Amino acid sequence: MEIFSSIISLLQGGLGNLASYMAAHVLLCLLPAFYIAGAMTALIPKGTVTRFLGRNTPKYISYPGSAAAGFLLAVCSCTVIPLFAGIYKKGAGLGPAITFLFVAPAINILALIYTGGIIGVDLAIARLVLSLAFGIGIGLIMALIFRKADAEHDQATDAMFAGQASMRRAAVVFMMVLVLLLMAGTFQLAFLKQVYFQINLPVNGIDQFQSYLSQIVPFDPAKGEEGVTAQGVLLIGLLILIGLTSWRGIERIHEGFNSWTWISIALVGLTLLTASLGLLPHAEGVTLTLSGKFFGVLISVSILGWMLRSVLTEDETRDFLWESWRFVKQIFPLLIVGVFIVGVLRMLIQPEWIEAIAGQNTLIGNFVGVIFGVFMYFPTLVEVPIAQMFLNLGMHRGPLLAYLISDPELSLQSILITATIIGRTKAWVYVGWVALFSTLAGLIYGSWVDGTSIGIVALYLIAFLAVLALTLYLMNKRSSQKATFHSTASTD
Amino acid sequence: MLTIKILGSGCANCKRLEQIASKVVTDLAVEAEVIKVTDYNDIMSYNILSTPGLVIDEKVVSSGRVPSPAEVTTWIANALVAH
Repeated sequence: MEIFSSIISLLQGGLGNLASYMAAHVLLCLLPAFYIAGAMTALIPKGTVTRFLGRNTPKYISYPGSAAAGFLLAVCSCTVIPLFAGIYKKGAGLGPAITFLFVAPAINILALIYTGGIIGVDLAIARLVLSLAFGIGIGLIMALIFRKADAEHDQATDAMFAGQASMRRAAVVFMMVLVLLLMAGTFQLAFLKQVYFQINLPVNGIDQFQSYLSQIVPFDPAKGEEGVTAQGVLLIGLLILIGLTSWRGIERIHEGFNSWTWISIALVGLTLLTASLGLLPHAEGVTLTLSGKFFGVLISVSILGWMLRSVLTEDETRDFLWESWRFVKQIFPLLIVGVFIVGVLRMLIQPEWIEAIAGQNTLIGNFVGVIFGVFMYFPTLVEVPIAQMFLNLGMHRGPLLAYLISDPELSLQSILITATIIGRTKAWVYVGWVALFSTLAGLIYGSWVDGTSIGIVALYLIAFLAVLALTLYLMNKRSSQKATFHSTASTD
Repeated sequence: MLTIKILGSGCANCKRLEQIASKVVTDLAVEAEVIKVTDYNDIMSYNILSTPGLVIDEKVVSSGRVPSPAEVTTWIANALVAH
């Protein structure tokens, strides 16, 4: 009997976690995130960024260019590996290719938005800034270490990177409105939180439904749990409908749009609006509150709908819908399973364990975060609920960032693919640097969280980079001396 | 006889492109061989920056996106004329 009841409570933990991740505020960040990722894949012509990655581009352009490419073009693994191989073999070389490889998974737009929505904007920004800086750093280091091997390129073919494509203005506007939608739904600004209208609907029974829900999925606010709301159930229903209609309307979109396509788009709009409503059940019915958030979402959804139908070309609309749907199909099911498992694990892990290992911003704590990130492989986005679990269990934000950077960065699979392109030695040296820099990122961010002023943090960072640059400079000098010596020796 | 190659490691978009290409080939009743290229070194030799890529008679006609059946039909028709 005891075993039975503990299994029940584990399942409840999983369900509870699942429900709170399907809650309104999560959907308002997750749904736009998928569409932004889809729009980036479908609407940004690759030539706009890749023209900065050719062989003859100066370093101060090719490194930031690679970082930008990692951010803008590499939402999907379909892009990461070919682009990485292309930059390495036919373009700017090992350094920029490594920068690209580092930046792409660490600040994948979906993961970044999701981190911001679930854990906090500060962590998302730290992830963005430190990944960009360290990505360029690791690229430079790798280029220095493997300077000689890097010269053995394939034949120069700059033509591959000579694209001059520019983005259509309509596509730029469309993406900006998508970002506005995300901001309207997630930013905690006064005018967005302000309630402008209240409507009382005399619908009975919703409060009973709500208390029934709290009974089947009990929750403890002290632990950061959220429980299931009646609104949450409505949203889950809508999501299932979106899934079903998209299966009929978007799965076969290459054969042409059909009415299911438009129904599924309308349902997405409806879901976003429902999620941005305030819904308070009480004994006499339900109170709907319309805040600035609702109107922000309403305005941006209407503009997006109009642009989809009449401004974007048919090709753009089709590619956009297909790519977004592909992300949803690829990531969402794994995310749901992941969140459920995290909820179950949550019941089993004792806070004391986490607190003992990574409760403080120590070197060991950060390193453990990185090691865990390297050896555990989680599907895209699942690292975020896991990170939140650790946070609730008492992990310090520093080690948490170290984990969040290293987890998507390194997995056995990605190390192996990288090794087939650049060779085993280079791949493992890269892994070492990533581990070191992720630990460092955690330490630096952690000390900022602990109250160190931003000036001193910057000083640490600069001092470290200076030491690194000096070491590499000396190494470089010594080996080039040796090389000269060698060449003189061989001419003799 | 046309040679149509699908470049891609097997991600969702590559499979979709393969379906579309095969369907167009059947619909047009063209004599063509559809080959999947999955090895990265082979893919890179076509100078494309992102998969899926579509190659008709060793000429890259599209890369980085899933083209519509109409586009694929045009490309195949052009290749037939060139023959």
